[in-house]
Amino acid sequence: MTTDETMSVSEFLASFNKQFKRFPFTIRGEVSEVNAKAGYRAVYFTLKDDSASLSCLMWNERYQRIGIPLAVGMVVEVKGRLSVYASKGRLNFDVESYTLAGEGNLRLQVDLLARKLQAEGLMAPEKKRPLPAYPNTIAVVTSPRGAAVHDVLRTLRRRYPLAKVLVAGVPVEGPQAPEWLVYGLQMAAYNGAEVIIFGRGGGSFEDLMPFNDERVARAVADCPVPVVTGIGHEPDTTICDMVSDLRASTPTAAAEAVAPAREALETGLASLENRLVTATEKTIALWSAKVQRYALLPLFREPQRLFDNEALTLDNLSDRLGRALPAALERDRQRIEGLRGRMLQTSRLFSVRQKGAFERNQARMTAVGGSLTDRFKGQLSLNASRLEDLSPVAILSRGYSVTRGDNGKIVDSITAVKEGEALAISVADGTIDATVTDTRPTAGL
Amino acid sequence: MEEQKPIEEMSFREAMTELEGIVALLESNTLELEESLKNYERGVALLASLQKRLSSADQQVEVLVGELANLGTDEENDTTLS
Repeated sequence: MTTDETMSVSEFLASFNKQFKRFPFTIRGEVSEVNAKAGYRAVYFTLKDDSASLSCLMWNERYQRIGIPLAVGMVVEVKGRLSVYASKGRLNFDVESYTLAGEGNLRLQVDLLARKLQAEGLMAPEKKRPLPAYPNTIAVVTSPRGAAVHDVLRTLRRRYPLAKVLVAGVPVEGPQAPEWLVYGLQMAAYNGAEVIIFGRGGGSFEDLMPFNDERVARAVADCPVPVVTGIGHEPDTTICDMVSDLRASTPTAAAEAVAPAREALETGLASLENRLVTATEKTIALWSAKVQRYALLPLFREPQRLFDNEALTLDNLSDRLGRALPAALERDRQRIEGLRGRMLQTSRLFSVRQKGAFERNQARMTAVGGSLTDRFKGQLSLNASRLEDLSPVAILSRGYSVTRGDNGKIVDSITAVKEGEALAISVADGTIDATVTDTRPTAGL
Repeated sequence: MEEQKPIEEMSFREAMTELEGIVALLESNTLELEESLKNYERGVALLASLQKRLSSADQQVEVLVGELANLGTDEENDTTLS
């Protein structure tokens, strides 16, 4: 478009716009300013790269059709045509449509998926399960190459060698990675893992994309056992991190979260040991005190008091017996003697004819007299055996002993004897001579 | 008291749980002396088993999927320190 014709400004710009509207362009750049005030008929923004910037506008109805709000920092590819706003002479790129470019696009997709899964409740705090305290089997689902798997295995070995470790070594990058990651999780759960460490070492945002995959995220959320994620480095957060039961910042941190520390366990066991011993000692002390309390009762300190009543009865009986028996026997004997004398006298008066009858009577009388004493003999031996039962000698035969000091008195207290004093200890079958070497009060007295 | 499982057949977690239960029971001071001593004996046995397992365990690693590169020693593989 060259001409020597002189044009007015309006003519020039009208001609310019007309020409350039024929050429659509696609331009890639970063959104640096956005002006989308309500009431404006278009959204105004600036697209820039390192050394240049371009003013853009997009009519509202087109902007709304896209559905992705523009934000500062987004990298976009815009399609449109160049035009000049005639009244201000300002160059504008008239944007017809745009798409998110590169990482910006990925981040948007991730953001949309995160919101979707959150709406489904997959990230709800109450969905997060507690980790088993002392897992028997721990699975690691990560790349078999690289440092991460070894960091995890070393951490587990150092902290909790008791657990069996299952390793599902799967690709964590590339187009096949999501399927492999899902398979790894399934294999781990199927083979009896009680908790799964899921992750990879550091990488770019694009590298971590398989962990933002919807299939993988759902596999984590649906996993029958708790999943602990350790994906990338501290600031990286993937959707798997959001739906897992616990998010650790790195694979090593995930291993630490899953395995109790050996040192802590040892300390814990030592503390349990201490409590076990203390509690048992306390119980023994408690029962000892109970026993001691009974040991101090007079009953056990002076067992002979148990038989006080019997001893009195015994004395009384033996006294009565001693007085009653001889007197009764003597009376009976005298009566018999008297009878016999009278019989003899009478017999002399009897005729020989009567003699037989007399002798018969005599024999009967003798028999009666004899059985009279028999009765008393029987009673006597009965009383003697009761006497035996109640005698202190019988008590001694049960293992008790009676200790007398050198004054002959029964020793019933450690204060009743002096060191060096001779003691006579009566036991069932004799007497033991002993000497006091020491005295000590009963513990607890 | 219910039938006791032989300690060597118990998992670390089971043994730990039982030990913790015994300690709590003993500390509650509600047992007869004989029961206390029985529990104490069991507790000591559990404790010894747990301590022994912890000090002598050798981690068992099973690869389900993929192939692990040679493990090397912990020192060689330690990337968290470098």
